[in-house]
Amino acid sequence: MSHPPATRPIATPNERSGLKYIGLAPVVIYNGIFFLLPLLFLIWIGFWSTENYRAIPGFSLDNYIDIFSQLFTRSRYAYALLQTAWVASTTTILAILLCYPFALMLVFGVPERLQRFAVLLAIAPFWSSYILRLYAWQTILNRNGLFNTLLLKLQVIQEPLPIIFTQVATRIGILHYLAPIVILILYLVLRNSDRALLEASRNLGATQWQTFWRVLLPLSKPGIIYSALFGIIISAGDVLSGIVLGGGTGRSIFGPIPLFSTVVLNEYAGTTNLPRTSALATILVILLLVILAAGLKLSDPPRD
Amino acid sequence: MTAIKLSARPTRSINLLKLVGWLYLGGMYLFLMLPILTLVIFSFENSRFPTLPWTGWTLRWYGDLFRDGRLIQSLGYSLWISPAAAAAATVLGFCAAYVLNRFQFLGKKFLSIVLIIPIIIPPLILGVAFLGLLSRLQLQGKLISIFLTHVVILIPTAIALIGLRLSQMPKDLEEAAWNLGATEWQALWRVVLPWSIPGIAGSWLLAFTFSFDEFVIAWFVSGFKQTLPVAIYTFLGANLTPALNAIGTLIFLISICLLVGVELLLIPILLGQRRSS
Repeated sequence: MSHPPATRPIATPNERSGLKYIGLAPVVIYNGIFFLLPLLFLIWIGFWSTENYRAIPGFSLDNYIDIFSQLFTRSRYAYALLQTAWVASTTTILAILLCYPFALMLVFGVPERLQRFAVLLAIAPFWSSYILRLYAWQTILNRNGLFNTLLLKLQVIQEPLPIIFTQVATRIGILHYLAPIVILILYLVLRNSDRALLEASRNLGATQWQTFWRVLLPLSKPGIIYSALFGIIISAGDVLSGIVLGGGTGRSIFGPIPLFSTVVLNEYAGTTNLPRTSALATILVILLLVILAAGLKLSDPPRD
Repeated sequence: MTAIKLSARPTRSINLLKLVGWLYLGGMYLFLMLPILTLVIFSFENSRFPTLPWTGWTLRWYGDLFRDGRLIQSLGYSLWISPAAAAAATVLGFCAAYVLNRFQFLGKKFLSIVLIIPIIIPPLILGVAFLGLLSRLQLQGKLISIFLTHVVILIPTAIALIGLRLSQMPKDLEEAAWNLGATEWQALWRVVLPWSIPGIAGSWLLAFTFSFDEFVIAWFVSGFKQTLPVAIYTFLGANLTPALNAIGTLIFLISICLLVGVELLLIPILLGQRRSS
């Protein structure tokens, strides 16, 4: 999402133009007050303590000691983190595996004149309310929902499948949110990949599969990495799908364990313990920053 | 641009591949559209419970929606917060994008990264962070807080989109205006701004959508006056009603209008059609 650098400095009528400061000042001040300050506050409040349900300013490591000691004993937070890592990574991989062929079809299969419409149709769901889409998925995936009714009628299954309130349902919800974004990223990358290279590869005798595997796929690597980063950040930070479709403690291979984001939300809703909630959120920030840095390092092509 | 097919030499197996591809495309579209179709169809279903078989048509859930009024009231709140937040973010975003696009200065790259960062911090974290600050400022639980915090998360999209549009502007355009005697402000007002209008309108649309749909931050900072997603969330927990399908259908109608705007404004910018106007 960064800007392509200007190719050359522009000759302005007035190099010392004050426009620069007039343009930047509002946004810098605004983000300073309403973005940077809250984030610093978040970190600071994580060190506060709570007495009689009131947050007391100060500096104590109690929240963190408590959270980390529970990582190894009662394990609620540890399992929630593990669950999040598991759900977020599998959902992201699934999203890319499902959307890549879709984007490929959009670029190379759909006729040029229909492409804009096809893309628009694919990102259309993104424009309707996420929480209502999740509600609709509830209707579909419920024990007596459309999906089970259909399968029972077709006699594919004898008993309704338990999908709702599992992390499988959570994944479906997140996937549905993620798919339009991933499709758009992959579509743009694939569409802008150098056609001359593809033609050259074909002309030099490569099969279609070789052209895809050795030329197109490497060309689209940045798009895959950006999609993966979006996928991880969105699914690790997502609250709604885990609650609405996962039922709070969605069953998964680890057992019925909530996602970390659900724990953070419930911690606040249940106890309004802002210091503890802040400490948990800070931990999530740090983990995501590490993942982001690793991802960006990966997407940086090695210099030759 | 002409379409170049991966398949320069069509054979029977490629036709089969094509068929599989089209089936796949259809399947994915079904997956993408399924929840929305479900909402729309069941908003007219007579039975209280959205299950098959179909029991008949009704409009009573729409009646319920307006009689109860709570969701409609939240829709009202959302319908002033989101356009206002989108407008504020777009103005701030345009100013920043213009400076970043036109000027070279020390720390420019750093600044453009810093300004984009709010979009990669999960709303959950921002929600907790905003609550911490706002509760100190005695601002929590107010509608204005949702507006103030939403602007933060909308600025990055505005900067990115308007910046993209500006980067597609021929550099000589502004210089030509100066050479013809326009002042900086005149060139900005009469040349750069008109050029940016698709980007500005597109980013407003996108920002509006983000704000209109944002749940977690609004959940943390809102009090009794809830935006629509927060109100829907409370409904999901307490009293499930087919009125949710009805409001879903109404929102989908709004979003179709937005989509037309997206089709006209955003997609050309994203696809980089430089000579569109």
